Parts: sequence; structure tokens; C-alpha cells
Amino acid sequence: MAALPRRIIKETQRLMQEPVPGISAIPDESNARYFHVIVTGPEDSPFEGGLFKLELFLPEDYPMSAPKVRFITKIYHPNIDRLGRICLDILKDKWSPALQIRTVLLSIQALLSAPNPDDPLANDVAELWKVNESEAIRNAKEWTRRYAMDT
Amino acid sequence: MNFVVIAFKSLVHNLLRMFGFGKGVMRNDLDIYIKTNTGNTLSISLDPAWDIKNVKQVVAPQLGLAPEEVKIIFAGKELKDTITISECDLGQKSVLHAVKSKRKLQVVPSEQSVIEEEDVGSKPLSETLQDSKFYDQRDEKLSKDIIQRKVHFYVFCPTCKSLRNGKLRVRCEICKSGAFTVYEDPQNWDDVLNSKQIPGYCENDLCQSKDSYNSEFNFAEFFFKCSDHISLGEDDTAVPLYLIKTNLREVPCLACGDICDPVFVFPCKDGHVACLECFRQYCSVRLAERQFWQHPEHGYTLSCPTGCPDSFIQEVHHFRLLTETQYAQYQKFATEEFVLRSGGVLCPQPGCGMGILIDEGCKKVACVNGCGYVFCRDCLQGYHIGECESNVDTSNAAGCVYSVDPSKAASARWDEASKVAIRVLTKPCPKCRTPTERDGGCMHMVCTRAGCDFHWCWVCQTPWTRECMGNHWFG
Repeated sequence: MAALPRRIIKETQRLMQEPVPGISAIPDESNARYFHVIVTGPEDSPFEGGLFKLELFLPEDYPMSAPKVRFITKIYHPNIDRLGRICLDILKDKWSPALQIRTVLLSIQALLSAPNPDDPLANDVAELWKVNESEAIRNAKEWTRRYAMDT
Repeated sequence: MNFVVIAFKSLVHNLLRMFGFGKGVMRNDLDIYIKTNTGNTLSISLDPAWDIKNVKQVVAPQLGLAPEEVKIIFAGKELKDTITISECDLGQKSVLHAVKSKRKLQVVPSEQSVIEEEDVGSKPLSETLQDSKFYDQRDEKLSKDIIQRKVHFYVFCPTCKSLRNGKLRVRCEICKSGAFTVYEDPQNWDDVLNSKQIPGYCENDLCQSKDSYNSEFNFAEFFFKCSDHISLGEDDTAVPLYLIKTNLREVPCLACGDICDPVFVFPCKDGHVACLECFRQYCSVRLAERQFWQHPEHGYTLSCPTGCPDSFIQEVHHFRLLTETQYAQYQKFATEEFVLRSGGVLCPQPGCGMGILIDEGCKKVACVNGCGYVFCRDCLQGYHIGECESNVDTSNAAGCVYSVDPSKAASARWDEASKVAIRVLTKPCPKCRTPTERDGGCMHMVCTRAGCDFHWCWVCQTPWTRECMGNHWFG
């Protein structure tokens, strides 16, 4: 395995020294490109009080290619599908090497505060979110309680 | 000619003895050429410690002139008597120009010209320009060391096949003679890269400009030579990679955050900086994903990775920083994209891929200079009469004597296997027909082919609409 690029080392150090409030990202002991991430559900969102586990992987081409991020904890959200895949433009065509792990995780946290049912990944969830928002929010809260609070 | 050279060598040696240089010390002689405005070329060996006055003393007798009547011109400047060869940015086999000075012929020398006579000339242009002026037009504080740094130019050298330091040279725009002096120094890349920016005077008597009534006023043409290998002649030039710059203010790379020198500065408003390593990586990732853009003017190129508008790299030689293999692939893709953009097709035969430009309305295409395959322009299958078959039709196996599972028969065909896989797993983009695979997610497809970006529906194979969104977002 090639040496870890300095950029990744620097980003990791900064994540450790000045962590983002509500987000923890810890590199795996055996693979410094794999991060164990925990995002706390934002206040005043249906995900409040939940702790959501994610995995983040920096591919070989990082930072020219976007990090691969996935929710491990089940979540009821129109832009996150059953497998935890996230529909977020900066993880796809809007990725820029000027972005960082930190900015990606902040964007994901923001996505929890502001779901976007017009660009969905989970069809049924998006549908409900548009047709009956209050029920969708009830479901999201229920899932948060059931899957994101059990620790 | 040889005789001249030999005569010269002995002369040089005698002179050296006279000046007391020949004390058995090893010297790094520079073998250079001197071109005269009468069209002759002399080959001489110079001691880097000599000054221009010494050179004139050696050259003048060859021209039948007095040393004071000779002007030595190099890189756009008449060289001053007191500067030494080592200060002149000369390499082995460089060409100096010796011309007869016209100043002496002035009938009524004014006061001013007498003063000029004292210390006329300067150093070559490449020695007087500064990095700070050339790369940084802002009036911010830089340390003195940096301000006085000699300008650095970066070129792609076709002989060394890599990035090298470049040497700026000047010639006449009309006759291409190097016996050319500029009236003013270029101040930036625009002055150097664009024609008719910097006026000057051509000393070549044979230049056509001498016929025009304004022969005192000509334009300079700038070019570059590699500073790494011995010059192979006047045509041995190198392409300037002007987006590679000296990192005067130590800007960190946008990707890796390291401070490197030199750096690649994207042609966007903010001038985003990438180190050369990250620039290479950016190019190779984009190349692997075939995400370069076929720009109508600049060619197959990239823009700033942070998504700045109007930031296409105009000089595609910058992509020579890729490896040879990658560059070959770059050229292949560029040609293919060009053919496709021009309404042509690529021969579908595996291993061929020849680009074919065809007339509007012509359906039967033959790969004439390639493999010879004759195919249908629309469905890219072997040529046929009538409508194209929309799907793989394996039902004709029914007429076979043996009963074979049609799907197995289809996948067991030599060379056909990958075609079948492509047909089964992909659908063409309704706009550019690029076979597209859907590997998950919703039915809303965005064509990834650079420049297409068409939004379409996987189910309907039509543009993506609100109806598609309502009815079968997820199938």
C-alpha cells in the first residue's frame, strides 16, 4: 500500500484536534482511509437525539474523487435509501478537490435538517414526505428512536 | 568553413594567452555560433569569463569591421560591452547575432546619442525580466529576494519529452531572424504569447520589412528553447506551459494543501492553485472517467476542478504532463470525441474503433481505411436493409435442428459475449446514444458523457419529466 498522502494525514489531525460539533470521525486502526463516523441528529429535526453511524472511505484518487459515504444506522429520510446510500450532489458530480471530509460531513448533517424530497433516493419515503409530511416526520422520529438510540 | 573554424581556434588561443587566461586551468568553453547579417555563420569557442567586448574583438575582423562598429544581439537585446558571457543565459550551440552598428553612420549625432554611446545595450531579455513582475501584477509586499528573482519559464520540451525550464528568445515576426532588438520589454504572458504586442527593430538586411516604408518598426515574435539539452538548431523550440508558474506567494495546493514550487494556476477568476502532482492526478482521474470536454476552440480540455465558470485550459500542451501512455489515450479520446461531435461514427468492430465522418442521410457505412466492416449508422450492427431491430432477437434459434437455450446460445458467441452484455445491461442515452448502465438508485439518469449531461428516464428512454417522477421514479 502506498504511503498515506499528506493531505489525508493533515485532515485527520485536524478532525481530531478540532472536531466538528455533533460529528465524530475516527480512522480505522487498520486502514487510515476508512473512517468510523457518528453524526448526532440535528436539533429541531425528526432525527434529534439520535446517533447515526456512517462509514466514510477515501478512495485511491482522493481528493480528486469524492469520498464514499454511507449510513450504517437505518434512517427514514427521502435522500437516503435502504442501503444507506446518500443522494447528495457534492458526493457525485459537484465534488471538488477543494472540499474536505469535514465539509462533506457537515453537508450530510445539514441534509438531516433539511430533507429534499424533490431529489429523492428512497421513493416511498419521498412520496410520503410530499403527500403527508406530518406522517413522514412521525415515521422518521419513530425510526430514530428505534434504530439510532439503542446504545 | 572548416578552415575558418581552425583559424578561429588558434586565434582564440593566442588571444587567451595574451590575456593571461591560458594557465593550464580547465575552462568550460562554450561552443556557440555567430550569425552575421550578411548570412554567414561562424563557429567559435568562448570562455564564460569573457565580456562582450572580447567577443567583439574576436568577431570584428571576420566581418571586416572595427570592434566598435559591431553590435552583438541576443534574446531581443543588444548586449552591453561590460557584461560577461556567463551572465547571458547562453548554452552550448547558442546563436549570437553580430551586425554592423548603424550608429556610427549618423551624420549629425545629437547630444543624447553621444551619451547613449557610452553604455548602450543591456543584458538579454531573459536575464532582465523578473518573476515578480511577470507572475504577480498586484502591488503587495514581497520580500526583496523574491522581487529580484530572475523570471522562470516552464516549457514542454519535445526532445527531453518532459517539463523543463525554458529560455525566452526573440526573433523578427517577418523574417524570423534573431537579429532583432525590442523597443520595450514584455510585461506579461499576453505580450509574449500574442503576436504584434512588442515592437522592435530587425537588423537582418534581407528582411522583407526593409522594403516597406516603415522599416524601423517591426513586431517581435517570442519563442522558447529548452534549457536542459544542447540546442539542436534554431528550429529546436519548446512549447511554453504558461499556466505553470513560480509560486511567489507560497499558495498551498487546493487538493493536497502542500506549498510547492512551481505550481499550476488554473485560468479561473480566483486563479486556483494546484501542485503539479495533484494537477497530474486531476487529469488522469478525469481522463480515466472520460470527463474531458471537447471545446470548439481550445480542443479536448479541462476546467478548474472547483467548478469555476469559464476556466478551460486553452493550451492543451499542458496535458503533456501526463505519462506517455496517458497522453496517447488523451489523443485517442480527443479524436473520438471530435469525430462524434462532427456527426461521425466510430467503427463498432471490436479492436477497430476507427473514426468515420459520413454524409448526412447515409446509412450504410464502410470502415474503409480500417477493418473494412460494413455497418448500419443507426444501430451500429452489420449493415441491413430496412428498419433496425430494436432488441436482441434470439428467437431465430427456433428454426435450429438442435434445441439450445437461446440465452445460452447468445452468451456463448465468440466476441459477441461482450456485445450481448452491453445490450442486455445498458440502454443508450436518448441524446448521444452512449450505452449507459444503471447500477442502482432511481430511474432519473444523467448522461455522464462529457458535454452531454442529458437528463433522461431509464424506463421511457425519453427526457426526464414530472410524469416520470410521479409514475416510476423507482420503477
